[in-house]
Amino acid sequence: MNLHKLSSRLCPTVTQKFRHLHIQSSGQQLESVAVETASAEPNPLSVFRTSEQDPAYHSERQSGQYYTFPPAHIQKLFPHGLPPRFQLQIKTFNEGCVMVRPPALELISYLKRADYSKPPLRYVLYGDTGTGKTLSLCHALHYCYTQGWLIVHIPDAHLWVKNCKELLPSSSRPSRFDQPIQASHWLKNFKITNEHFLSKIKTTQRYVWTKRESTEMGQPLGELVDQGVNRMKSSSDVVGAVLRELRLQAGGITEGEGAFKLAVAVDGVNALWGKTSLKKEDRTLCEPEELTLIHNLRKMMKNNWSGGAILTALSQTGSLFTPRSAYLPNELLGEEGFDHMEPFVPVSVSNYDEKEFESCYLYYLDRNWLQHPHSRSEEGKKELIFLSNKNPSILERLCAFL
Amino acid sequence: MAASISHPALSSLRKINCNTNGIFSLISFSRRISVSSVLSTSAVATEKEGAGRGVRGQRRSKRQAGEPRTERMSVDQDWTAVYPTAAPFKPSAVPLPVRMGYPVKRGVPPAKKGNLELIKIPNFLHLTPVAIKKHCEALKQFCTEWPAALNSDEKCMKHFPIQVQSKEFVSAGLSVRNPDARIVTLKVKLSSLNLDDHARKKMIKLSEERYCKDTDTLTIVTDSCPLRQQNYDYAMYLLTVLYHESWKSEAWEQEKTRADMEEYEWEDSPSQKNLLDTLLRMRPTGAKDEEEGAREELLGQPAVQEYRDTLLKLKNEGETEENLQKYKEAVKKLFNI
Repeated sequence: MNLHKLSSRLCPTVTQKFRHLHIQSSGQQLESVAVETASAEPNPLSVFRTSEQDPAYHSERQSGQYYTFPPAHIQKLFPHGLPPRFQLQIKTFNEGCVMVRPPALELISYLKRADYSKPPLRYVLYGDTGTGKTLSLCHALHYCYTQGWLIVHIPDAHLWVKNCKELLPSSSRPSRFDQPIQASHWLKNFKITNEHFLSKIKTTQRYVWTKRESTEMGQPLGELVDQGVNRMKSSSDVVGAVLRELRLQAGGITEGEGAFKLAVAVDGVNALWGKTSLKKEDRTLCEPEELTLIHNLRKMMKNNWSGGAILTALSQTGSLFTPRSAYLPNELLGEEGFDHMEPFVPVSVSNYDEKEFESCYLYYLDRNWLQHPHSRSEEGKKELIFLSNKNPSILERLCAFL
Repeated sequence: MAASISHPALSSLRKINCNTNGIFSLISFSRRISVSSVLSTSAVATEKEGAGRGVRGQRRSKRQAGEPRTERMSVDQDWTAVYPTAAPFKPSAVPLPVRMGYPVKRGVPPAKKGNLELIKIPNFLHLTPVAIKKHCEALKQFCTEWPAALNSDEKCMKHFPIQVQSKEFVSAGLSVRNPDARIVTLKVKLSSLNLDDHARKKMIKLSEERYCKDTDTLTIVTDSCPLRQQNYDYAMYLLTVLYHESWKSEAWEQEKTRADMEEYEWEDSPSQKNLLDTLLRMRPTGAKDEEEGAREELLGQPAVQEYRDTLLKLKNEGETEENLQKYKEAVKKLFNI
């Protein structure tokens, strides 16, 4: 009986939503139609979407509501940055929707209020597994991107400390090891994200790669990046050089051109101070300090430059040799990491609350993701709450079965 | 005699079997067999009874059990008369409907009558509060008065901070000695000893796992000597030596490193250095005056003090959500977010 009533209410809105999907090319029309339906029928089903697409204007009023990433932005900003399950979801639903949640709002408010002539503040997102740290980080990064910052995004630092097929001894320093594949892959994605900055920033010193190759002073950064992408052998050193250049020039010492704000975003930052699973040739374990990429990234995490912000998120899921239940900063970063990152602002990310869960549930209903008829009833909803404990990732996996 | 009787019966059985086929005849001759077997065994029994007592005396009449004692027990009876000493569980003497044991499928735990489980386990039916009161009354004549001035626990701890425990064992057997009676446990609270900061830390380090941080008690257990008196002397000796050694400081104690420290100290810690660096960098360029003065001034700010407090709490007490929240507030205040 309930199902019939619900379906009769659903019918008019469903047809309208189908019309939305057809006109998806123009985002403006979509927004206006959405606003129309919201005002025409006070239907609870459209309450979970907000019409505000610019993260700069998100506030507590939109908390719990979904906003869409513009597809062009997804391509440029997150070539490798989004978690794999979320990328699948984008493909399935044909849109990338992210919920506006308090931790991300908090982070954005700090970014708005911070003073960029001072050394960068470090923000650490921490929380239990699957509560939404990575997506909150992506939300904040989207804000930075819309404000025109230069983005340095390492999607998962854990990928650099494990499962590396090639480990070459470093060409510049004898005690260090290079990871050419990871470095060149990252440089490619960096190029896609920050295309328009690469021609504006110039190098400040001469870099010598081999006897025949070198990059002169005053060359655009794009050339440096190309050098790294083409020549795999020196790509890790190129990464180090790029980071160094950005550090020196962020904040805009020269007024006018060249002034940019730098956002360094690292997910799984506890990998930088944890253990690796890479072995050297004599079968001993590698320390993270001995890897060029990690060494340079650690230097980036220090706040001895100015004109930007460092956003990080901890992650237990990919980390090596840490217990499953560890999620607090001290446990995951370790003593060394804590001392290095200090003083930082910890931002806690927790499971969904009532309103957010409602919102997520309605979104899945709207996308016709919940196919099982029982899931549309009140009892089904209570079952979902009980099974997932309102944990975002568990809820998503559960709903994938339904 | 029995054999001679059964033989013709067996031979007749064989004859009958070959002659007739029906079941009738089988039953009839089986009855004949059973009668003959009864006759034969009773003949045997009468023989043996004459000789002595039979192991499986089928004729011996069993005396019926009378009603259990529990039927005649009143509610206000004297229980110490029922169980004056330690005794096994007697279901007819305990008026409680106790059940014990694993139930079979769709059943309940078996009742107390004939329940071996209840008999196997030790019971304390002889130690009810009434019984213990009687014991105390009986022992009172051998005791001396408790000193009136020690009428509370705090006073006892204040005047007698060292507690010595040992066990006595009473048993009936081939020997009355019990080697476990030589163990002596000495407990003392470190707060009642006269120790300064360095001495206290050294004492805790020397006593390793004998010191309990939650109750601030040092527990020394001695059992290396054969007699209790010797063990007691040894425990007192150990306490004296610990106390005096912790007051002395050796030359090599100067080499104590950060890793040896029991708790996190703010002075000269990497976190203090980090904070100072950050604050120095945050000051507007051009105001780079003497380093020392600037350092003291920076450290004296209330925001810095608050940061220091929250950090010490985080490091020493462990990490919890609320500690982290306080740390967050302190950092926000420092950087004016």
